Amino acid sequence: MLSEREVISTLNMLRNEHLDVRTVTLGVSLFDCVSHDLDLFTANIKAKIHRYAADLVRVCNDIGDKYGIPVVNKRISVSPIAVVGAPFDADGMVRICKALDEAAKEARVDFLGGFSALVEKGFTSGDRALIEALPEALASTDRICSSINVASSRSGINMDAVALMGEQIRKTAQATAAHDGIGCAKLVVFANIPQDVPFMAGAYLGVGEPDVVINVGVSGPGVVKKAIDRALSQTGRQLTLLDVAEVIKRTAFKVTRVGEMIGKEVASRLNIPFGVADLSLAPTPAVGDSVGEIFQSMGLSSIGAPGTTAVLAMLNDAVKKGGAFASSSVGGLSGAFIPVSEDSSIEAAATAGLLSLEKLEAMTSVCSVGLDMIAIPGDTPAATISGIIADEMAIGMINNKTTAVRLIPVPGKNVGDTVSFGGLLGKAGIMPVPQGDATAFITLGGRIPAPIHSLKN
Amino acid sequence: MYILPLGLYVTLFKDDIMHKLSVSLLGRDCPGVVAVVSTLFEKAHCDVMQVSQTILSGEFAAIFIVTAPNELAPQQLATLLEEALKNASMDFSVIVRTAVEGYWGSDKVCQPFVVTAHGPNRSGLIAPLSRIFARHNVNIESLKAILNEEDLDQALFVYEIMVPEMLDLGRLRRELTAEGQQLSLRVSVQHRDIFEAVHRVLPV
Repeated sequence: MLSEREVISTLNMLRNEHLDVRTVTLGVSLFDCVSHDLDLFTANIKAKIHRYAADLVRVCNDIGDKYGIPVVNKRISVSPIAVVGAPFDADGMVRICKALDEAAKEARVDFLGGFSALVEKGFTSGDRALIEALPEALASTDRICSSINVASSRSGINMDAVALMGEQIRKTAQATAAHDGIGCAKLVVFANIPQDVPFMAGAYLGVGEPDVVINVGVSGPGVVKKAIDRALSQTGRQLTLLDVAEVIKRTAFKVTRVGEMIGKEVASRLNIPFGVADLSLAPTPAVGDSVGEIFQSMGLSSIGAPGTTAVLAMLNDAVKKGGAFASSSVGGLSGAFIPVSEDSSIEAAATAGLLSLEKLEAMTSVCSVGLDMIAIPGDTPAATISGIIADEMAIGMINNKTTAVRLIPVPGKNVGDTVSFGGLLGKAGIMPVPQGDATAFITLGGRIPAPIHSLKN
Repeated sequence: MYILPLGLYVTLFKDDIMHKLSVSLLGRDCPGVVAVVSTLFEKAHCDVMQVSQTILSGEFAAIFIVTAPNELAPQQLATLLEEALKNASMDFSVIVRTAVEGYWGSDKVCQPFVVTAHGPNRSGLIAPLSRIFARHNVNIESLKAILNEEDLDQALFVYEIMVPEMLDLGRLRRELTAEGQQLSLRVSVQHRDIFEAVHRVLPV
């Protein structure tokens, strides 16, 4: 028999604290679809995705019903298109992107990720074609996400790619200007991209992954916040941060168990191997489902106040410790997300001027994933965007961690304006970017060499 | 003559002279109830095989499944227990019946679900949902009513049920939800595994 506390606590997590499974992501390898003939290649892709994804949404909904835990998003990740579509030019890449979009719509998934290139050490012709195709590809599709890995701790930073991405982000924003540059919300630049991320826009299926696999992304910032609030208000004694870390750890355990259990059952029903549970605390714009609110629960006036980086470091670590005990298959990004527009509390702090791009950059040195969903002035020079990317890649490269940049230079908007992307992408005020000119530095090109892996300090 | 293994001989012999009884007790809780009852079982050569007890609002209830000598009839054991409890100044009702082998659902493949119904407390909230379970041949294994300590007008009912696998779960859920709405109750139906996964570190 269940105890009262077990029943009430589970109900509270579901009803009042926004516990859900943020995403079940089906990974599909496209290596066996390869052809020199574009029509044949796209037909193969669509057939394979249909073969494995036809029942994904129905099965996720059935299992969500069975346990009373909603699976909010159902998604697909595929092999990096720049690799499997290497023979094709930019026009061909756009056609592939459209075929993927059709496959995603047919499967009724929210997003499909993997329109991606891995260029940390250099470009192939396929990589160049894909990056060149980005503005048109993202403007002419609805559900495709793209990730470009431009740096790694083993290879350094490909500064030619960084320079190119500054340009392409601007062009993508222009190509989707009618929708406030939303194409850039589906485009992310990475250092040390993991091969098994279930979250968008970074999801793709790495070359070392199985033919098909189910990865799952849990959620739970609301659950963590409420658990901290309860601990602080209900215990009769003064809590220390050690106690709070323990509360976060236990809560992360619960949240991860839910995700892993549902992911494994989806995998079993679809007869597909289970891959990983990604422990990231992923917020939504809903009040009460925010990572930013956790900072207030821990005594800061707002996220961005002095102490923010320390709180984030503790939060991120405690989440990993609890999650790692709950699941033996942990992977992906597994940390706290701080996407500005997608988190009502972070967005409010940024709009009120309490949280700057510089502070966000500092925070990314202790959490995953990076400068995420930040709206900047539409006239921000490409070299400035590239400079911001280079800084963020350097943090990832030196600290052997994943970092990323998802900036949206919103056409026609400036600091003081706001932009609404809708749905889970949320809304944001335009944030000022650092002053100064990086043009000459970015123009140098070449590669920042990989760092030394000893003499750590 | 066949030579039987010792264990089998003992079992046959034991089955021949023992029978299985279910003993249930209900009365005001106080220290010493289990001591009185178990001492009497010992004297009467009854062997306790299973026991479950609970206390609700100061009322003690227990069910014992015992093996008793064949010559000890259910009513005799009940009388012995009543006298022993009375001698210890304990006011208890005792029922003893011949235990029936097997249990409901042993021939069915069932899945454990937890149904919760939450809302303003008033009389008549349990019967309508229970009737739906009965109509679908769903067995209630545990039912708890939990009153909110901060708000006594709010009640939470927790039904742990066994649902035959062949049953249309969606239909059961729809009927429960519709009935719940009429009673201003918010109903949820969830597989029991989720409660255990979240809260328990299960043994390996």
